[in-house]
Amino acid sequence: MSAGLEATGLEVTGLCKRFGGIVVADAIDLAIPPGRVVGLIGPNGAGKTSFFNLVAGMVRADAGRVRLDGTDLTRLPGYSRARLGLARTWQNLRLFPSLSVLDNLLIAPRRYPGESLAALLRPARLRSAEYQARERAASVLERTGLAAIAHHPVADVPFGQQKLIGVARALMNDPRCLLLDEPMAGVEGAAYGAIQRVVRDLAAAGIAICVVEHNVAFIRDLCDEGVFMFAGRVLARGEVGTLIADPRLTELYFGT
Amino acid sequence: MEYLYTIIVMMALYVILASSFDFVIGHGGLISIAHPIFYALGAYASALLAKDLHWPIVLAIPAGAVVAMVASVLVALPALRVSGDYLLIASIGFQLGVIEAIKNLDWTGGAGGLSNIPGVSITQGHGPYVIAVVLIAIATVALLRFVAHSPYGRAISALRDDEPAFIALGRNAMHMKIGIFALGSAIAGLAGGLYAHYFRFLSADQFGIMQSAALLTMVVVGGMRSIWGPVLGAIVLEALPQALTFLNLPPSILGPLQGILFTGLVLIFMFFRPQGLIVAGDVWTGRRNAKEAAHVRRA
Repeated sequence: MSAGLEATGLEVTGLCKRFGGIVVADAIDLAIPPGRVVGLIGPNGAGKTSFFNLVAGMVRADAGRVRLDGTDLTRLPGYSRARLGLARTWQNLRLFPSLSVLDNLLIAPRRYPGESLAALLRPARLRSAEYQARERAASVLERTGLAAIAHHPVADVPFGQQKLIGVARALMNDPRCLLLDEPMAGVEGAAYGAIQRVVRDLAAAGIAICVVEHNVAFIRDLCDEGVFMFAGRVLARGEVGTLIADPRLTELYFGT
Repeated sequence: MEYLYTIIVMMALYVILASSFDFVIGHGGLISIAHPIFYALGAYASALLAKDLHWPIVLAIPAGAVVAMVASVLVALPALRVSGDYLLIASIGFQLGVIEAIKNLDWTGGAGGLSNIPGVSITQGHGPYVIAVVLIAIATVALLRFVAHSPYGRAISALRDDEPAFIALGRNAMHMKIGIFALGSAIAGLAGGLYAHYFRFLSADQFGIMQSAALLTMVVVGGMRSIWGPVLGAIVLEALPQALTFLNLPPSILGPLQGILFTGLVLIFMFFRPQGLIVAGDVWTGRRNAKEAAHVRRA
């Protein structure tokens, strides 16, 4: 755990975004302290994935602030946010099909001197970074139970394990905050348990985690707290069981 | 002998051009066909530095490569900021614009072409220069192969696969694209200088869209992203038209025949073998040594 002096986790205040007439984020305030797992629930189109895109810097917000452990990320591009410890996974995986499982991980540490041509002129530095990345990848693969398939092309791996690779790749970043976009959709069997275990371990290690998920059982088992979103707004926040039991929210969730 | 030298030099130059073009369009996935304009910039810059400013050729040629590289960055910066597709339009515009500019300026020789470019010492013969060009072609392929299998090559593969995911992992996609474009263009510029001081005459029209089409054919027929594909494509497609000239056909038939040959090859390959003569692997491989691989497996 590498918590700084101000390990305050993720703090989002007044986040707004509209695309033309469609409001995807309407003054969202959300704080996730280190070690807490917050589940985002709500119907499709509620703005859950848009929230992730705004926080991770894929999409620029119209207004509002995003902070991570006290550092203001608001004006930073996506790659800089990742380098400060903000990691995410994707609903549709977005693995690199032309890389092996291991290489998908090796591309993902916070510092990767290999992305600069100039670094090729300093082979010793490059080699040491590669060595460190491999050490880290070995431990992440071990933790996620993927070590046996490290050298397989990702395209040859079953879907559940591909989801796990997405999480493993995000872990290479040594994140302070992890955004998981539907980690359980389409996952069953051993991978389900593995993802659950990994998320618990990460929370125990003091990482702030936000999960978008439609699998209610998963959210209830894992999340300390639920946030119900609708039309770009946070409608309710509280214990997951209570939110699910609220007839008003259930109606919004399933429609009428 | 001079004839053979010329064929060897042209083959080597096309190996350099096709390989560096494949680096940009195949490996980098950067859709631009303006590669010949960086070849032109290298050629003109090197020729003018040697001719008007009396630079020694060994300095003028690398300087030409630098000019091509700087120009490529200036084109890529605004183009890539908007979107990837915009690079195609911006670079073609740049290509056609620069050709027109060269044709209408005095100090570039204008439409009549730039002649009397300082060449290699005639007393020594062309032999050493030809060998140098071939060695540079080999070094270029070796360099691009080295880069493709380095951690930089891994990053290129990931960037081509999925740019948003690449960025979300903390990688600077914009810097990488500019780096790829700049390296490919610098190599094209280097080829330009090598051309200029061998043939000692440049004409702006030889760097137009026809040249783009020829390079694209070499890369596609040879096999994109396969390192050896563009090399083979360049050699085959440079040798074929030369071989045809030995048939002793009248020029009225020979000209169209060469055109039909190129067009026909592209069509045949598009339909029957789109991956080209040499097929690139689907999965990126690095120069990982067995010890490191074993290390990961053991852990």
